[in-house]
Amino acid sequence: MVRIESLVFGYAAKPVIDGLGLRLERGRAYGLLGLNGAGKTSLLKLIAGALRPRSGRIEVWGRDPSGRGAAALADIAFVPEDPWLPALTSAAYLERFAAFRPSFDIKRFEELRRELDIVDPKPVSKLSYGQRKKFALAAALASGAGTILLDEPTNGLDIPSKMQFRKVLASSISEDRVILVSTHQVRDLENLIDPVLIVDSGMLAFEIESEAIGAKLGSTRATSLSGLEVVHAERDALGWNALVARRGAGTSAMPADIEMLFNAALAKPERLAAVLADAALTPYPVEGSEK
Amino acid sequence: MRLSAKSLERRFSIERLYLLVRNRLYDEAPTLLIGAAIVAGLNALSLVLAKTAFFNIVSAETPNGAFWTLAIVLGGLFLAGASLKGMHDGRGQTDWLLLPATSVEKYAAALVDVVVVFPLIAAAAGVALSALLALVEVLIGGPGNPIWLPGMGELKAWGGFAVAATVFIAGSSAFRKAPFLKTGGIVLGFAFVFALALALLVAQFVYGGWENGISFMNGRFYSGSDEIVSESAVRAMQAAFDIAVYAFLPVLAVLFGAAKVSEKEAKDEVQ
Repeated sequence: MVRIESLVFGYAAKPVIDGLGLRLERGRAYGLLGLNGAGKTSLLKLIAGALRPRSGRIEVWGRDPSGRGAAALADIAFVPEDPWLPALTSAAYLERFAAFRPSFDIKRFEELRRELDIVDPKPVSKLSYGQRKKFALAAALASGAGTILLDEPTNGLDIPSKMQFRKVLASSISEDRVILVSTHQVRDLENLIDPVLIVDSGMLAFEIESEAIGAKLGSTRATSLSGLEVVHAERDALGWNALVARRGAGTSAMPADIEMLFNAALAKPERLAAVLADAALTPYPVEGSEK
Repeated sequence: MRLSAKSLERRFSIERLYLLVRNRLYDEAPTLLIGAAIVAGLNALSLVLAKTAFFNIVSAETPNGAFWTLAIVLGGLFLAGASLKGMHDGRGQTDWLLLPATSVEKYAAALVDVVVVFPLIAAAAGVALSALLALVEVLIGGPGNPIWLPGMGELKAWGGFAVAATVFIAGSSAFRKAPFLKTGGIVLGFAFVFALALALLVAQFVYGGWENGISFMNGRFYSGSDEIVSESAVRAMQAAFDIAVYAFLPVLAVLFGAAKVSEKEAKDEVQ
């Protein structure tokens, strides 16, 4: 498991991550959402040990990754958004790099390669962006690491590959590991990630379990918002697209749209927090006369 | 070879060091082969033009092996200058940093590779190539220069090379772009400033002024034709210089480079 306390990190004077605290439990795949520049990639790199915090503490399965001890590094697999692969054949890649990870399962890697339809050209650096990504994912999931960190894993994957990825990731969730997925493509992963973590202004703004999302929030389309307990609403050509509280008039709403949930967390955090805490909502403030 | 789970808990593992050095040699092999091909090509050209492999030539100006030693030293220094480029690489940097081995092991692998393994492999390849060239030279009716065999002279040259290599490896840890040139420039700059300061100090405090100028030739200080520093003082200076260069410099370079690797973060990539 991963424990983060009072984490502060930045590239310039102003911190990107400012006092963040987080606890990731084994057996779960967490979704990390945030705006561009919110510090998602930095957070993954901090957990991986590639960056070091200005202050605060990170512990991954009882070890401090910033010390970059061999055991800590072997127990973490980080797949960046645009993975780099050397100019080696797949076999040579495994010979050189899997050797450093005693728990690397080469049989599992080959299975994943087949499941993800990864072609075997020579060398792997010549693979397309999507193929490189799938190769790196397969290597991470076969690494035997207890912490898997994925940065935008579905970016650049075609639709069948996204499906394969979801299947592979679902089969890789186990009690001996924790998975953290940073993504903007929330719809690609919304049935996999639980809970959802939303970072904003350098802090963890929300940590919401999918059970709570399902029980307390829903999405609906409406021409008018009256009579709805609206958390957040966006107007489009067909009317309103709204995230609503499930209680009362929102009971018949569709499952909550994760993108709307994310927008609500940033635009109307106090309303979202109120619904999650089962507190009453004030009338939704509609700008202009659309109401 | 696969590491054992137990070895992961060790702060320093010989098995990991072996794997790191092995991986480095895999990476460097194409460059080293190109280097050997260039040496062979230059000598083949001289065989065609003058019926002699010029690397094997022995004369008063070029003692046996001078060219071979020079080629290996220069090749090794270029290698040292690029020895830690992986940690600065915009795209591969994160993988380099997160490879499950400690920073000390990664740095030690560069040292072992450049200071020990490369000279041995290069010397063996040099001897083989020298023998081949000597054979061809004889077969085409050339003078039949001797085959180069490393001896005590080369061992002494290796000492100097090892010191210089530690400095260039440290330079590779510090500079992302043109580490070889930047490190070479800094070394030359320091040497110039040191020589100038020493000459001024000797002129001012030993000779009492620099109106007549001073010079340093064959290990002696002169003003005009007068030797101005005693032989014992020069010996003491030489000893101090040797201690600084052969003891303090490599230790400082290794500590500096290891610290740079240890503190490195994946910040060079576009965030």
